[in-house]
Amino acid sequence: MSMKTSLTFWERLYFPEIFRGIAITSRHFFKNLSNPLKNPVTIRYPEQKRFIHPRWRGRHRLMERNDGSPRCVACMCCATVCPARCISIMPGEHSDPAIMKYPVSFEIDLTRCIFCGYCVEACPVDAIRMDSGIVSVVGYDRDQLQFNKDRLLAKTP
Amino acid sequence: MAEALILAVKIAIATMFVLNLAGLLTWAERRQSAFIQDRLGPNRASVFGIRLIGLLHPVADGIKMIMKEDFIPAGADRVVHTIAPFIALFPAFVAYAVIPFGDRLPIFGYDVNLVVSDINIGLLFVVAVMSIAIFGIFLGGWASNNKWSLLGALRSAAQMISYEVTLGLTIIGILMVYESVRLDEIVRAQGDLLFGFIPKWGIVTQPIGFLLFFAAAMAESKRTPFDLPEGESEIVAGYFLEYSGMKFGMFFMGEFAEIVVIAGIIASLFLGGWQIPWVTTEMLLKAFPGWLVALIQIGVFSAKVVALCWLQLTIRWTLPRFRYDQLMRLGWKMLLPISLANIFVTGLVILLLQ
Amino acid sequence: MADLTKELHTECMTLQMGPSHPAMHGTVKMIVDIDGEEIHSVKPEVGYLHRGFEKMCENSTYHQVIPFTDRLNYVSPFINNVGYAMAVEKLLGIEVPERCKYLRVLACEISRISDHLTCLGASGMELAAFSVLLYSIEAREWMWELVEALSGARLTTTWARIGGVAYDMPDGFERKAREELEKVKRLVEDMRGLLEKNRIFYDRMRGTGVLEANDCLAYGVTGPCLRAAGVYYDVRKAKPYLVYDRLDFEVPLGKSGDNYDKFVVRVLEIYQSIRIIEQALEQIPAGPIAVDDPKITLPPKQEVYTSIGALVHHFNIIVKGIRPPKGEAYFAVEGGNGELGFYVVSDGSDKPWKCRCRGPCFPIVQAVPKMLEGAMVADVVPTFGMVNMIGGEMDR
Repeated sequence: MSMKTSLTFWERLYFPEIFRGIAITSRHFFKNLSNPLKNPVTIRYPEQKRFIHPRWRGRHRLMERNDGSPRCVACMCCATVCPARCISIMPGEHSDPAIMKYPVSFEIDLTRCIFCGYCVEACPVDAIRMDSGIVSVVGYDRDQLQFNKDRLLAKTP
Repeated sequence: MAEALILAVKIAIATMFVLNLAGLLTWAERRQSAFIQDRLGPNRASVFGIRLIGLLHPVADGIKMIMKEDFIPAGADRVVHTIAPFIALFPAFVAYAVIPFGDRLPIFGYDVNLVVSDINIGLLFVVAVMSIAIFGIFLGGWASNNKWSLLGALRSAAQMISYEVTLGLTIIGILMVYESVRLDEIVRAQGDLLFGFIPKWGIVTQPIGFLLFFAAAMAESKRTPFDLPEGESEIVAGYFLEYSGMKFGMFFMGEFAEIVVIAGIIASLFLGGWQIPWVTTEMLLKAFPGWLVALIQIGVFSAKVVALCWLQLTIRWTLPRFRYDQLMRLGWKMLLPISLANIFVTGLVILLLQ
Repeated sequence: MADLTKELHTECMTLQMGPSHPAMHGTVKMIVDIDGEEIHSVKPEVGYLHRGFEKMCENSTYHQVIPFTDRLNYVSPFINNVGYAMAVEKLLGIEVPERCKYLRVLACEISRISDHLTCLGASGMELAAFSVLLYSIEAREWMWELVEALSGARLTTTWARIGGVAYDMPDGFERKAREELEKVKRLVEDMRGLLEKNRIFYDRMRGTGVLEANDCLAYGVTGPCLRAAGVYYDVRKAKPYLVYDRLDFEVPLGKSGDNYDKFVVRVLEIYQSIRIIEQALEQIPAGPIAVDDPKITLPPKQEVYTSIGALVHHFNIIVKGIRPPKGEAYFAVEGGNGELGFYVVSDGSDKPWKCRCRGPCFPIVQAVPKMLEGAMVADVVPTFGMVNMIGGEMDR
């Protein structure tokens, strides 16, 4: 496939093509001017939020059992598979022998997290999810981005 | 006494016209470019929650620029570095002294000519004053002691010299048609009708001259496609790279003031200034009192200026930039011969019509 | 009166273009010696974005490398994902299911469009045609909507898996893709209208940054830069992978290898990619999206929750990882800028012994001094824009 890439005499005159360009930009200008609230693609952010696709990998959250304890069984799958090595779990013996293990502490260092979603994929008990829809993970210092068990269970903000 | 007062009012009107329109243009450029690019543009500056569709942004910018540190780089020529922005800004305001806003009108018993300074070489004065602005840019670029600025300064000097020539030569065509260098007379002559129904505007009598003048004037104002001295993606920001605070603000304002001046000159020379097609001043004076006629004419002139400003902004957001050698080729090898031919053809036509 | 016969003593001025310069997107430095406006010599200085990708790979399991590949060419992450996954699959000697192949083609072409759009927009912006950039960014936004719907992230997709892909198309993806492609087509038409036949743009691009066919081959340049010089080489045609041999598309070729040809080649490739996506959407069969091998892919989640066998496989893959047999494999895909190859060496463990990435940008940047012989300062900008250097991929 080859193409024609030379200018005709008419195109070499500068002005016809300049007028065509002005026509294109003016078309956009007047289209957006006719309805400034609808036609431009800008999202007026704090008032208007972008649609987040259901698959979006947002901030993690830990799932709970019916009694409010974390579903996590401290199997360390997520910590093993994490490419950024940002999950640290301290397992502990659970009083209920049916559960066996539970996380004494479960911390995600969100300054290191790369939001690949491997932890969700690796979890055999559906204890961790990234469907919180939280897009902005922000903090004034690094400590605010160390998410412990309570914050991941959304018990404390 | 009354005359001094009238003059003071006229000066105030002209200065405020340029200043306010230039300030508005900084807002208009951002909003217009945003709409061209399917964006919204700045609309968040607010006073007590009142946003006024972003109109407060120029004010916020002004405050910001005054508050900023005024930085002079090491090794710079401090005096020249400081003077340069002033030289770049003031010609734009001075040029407006000779651009007529309206006809000679009887207002409240006084015979008022709606132009600040009615000098007999008006058009030459504009060209002369406009060319001073390049000294500001050249000196600013040189005094900054920065390689990019120096490149910008060199480019601007070469560019200005090349395009002054075309600018001057296209004006000659207008002079031949309207037989005057006084801007108010040129505008008045454009009220006549050609063949009894076409307004004798400059754009009708000098269509090629209009395009050439527009191109050369855009080159004078250093905006895309002629923004080589600035060339932010090539030589970073060119001549004003080392400027900050209000000095940068003055270069910035100077650029927008020049847009207004160019729009004013083109409106006066080619679009009939304050003339309304097929409506003469006498007809207006019969129907309305003098002050209202003055307002109408200033309004018509302003509308033309604003339309031309809009066109300049649209061109700026449409076209890519020239390269240095291509710019020179365009100036010397294309625009200059065509403008000379334009003079020749104009003379020929005038001779044949006599 | 000065002696005019004497030659004036002049010196070249050295300009440090970058690493933070408006036109040096992606952090690279050009040391430019200029004589007035003319360029005397150019030296690109690379490595500002070096992150040790290859060393990181050696310390990660095969599975963990995939997120790192997102960050190579961060404008077209799907292609990197797929390229790496296919290299490991070659090592493992497996073939992915039909539907997965089509999905990968679909994703790769979406990424290619966004890559080309970025390149065209950025080069327009660097020539001060700013509106073009915003149109291309808008078009790219529609593409990234698709990327997000498909993979759950806009940039760091991590979508391909060894032996398949992570997610299938969501509901309504097909219709959405067709709608977005229409929008992209319209915006690309506007971009072309503003630039393609505009003489200012034409003069800036035509005859600058010329790299002729034999030079291209000598430097190892691939992709649009090579095709602009008239060499018919596209990995998708030369060594068809996935289902490219079944799809009907053409390879645009230029003649002179200058910036204008590179620009037009990229514009036409966008249309070809749209064609490929439309065909892939029509032909895509139903079926699994990953190979059914308990040693390579994770079992479906529902089975993991319910059956003990699946749970054991799940644990095995997570803890022991994928262990390809000893050996080495090189696999190349057509990236946004050219041949993107991954060379993986396995010593039988769960971590690659070596994972070399052959990015297309590195050879092209080496050729930049050649492209800029006898050019002017202003030519650096469009030439470098058309090289479309992506720092993440070049410096790795």
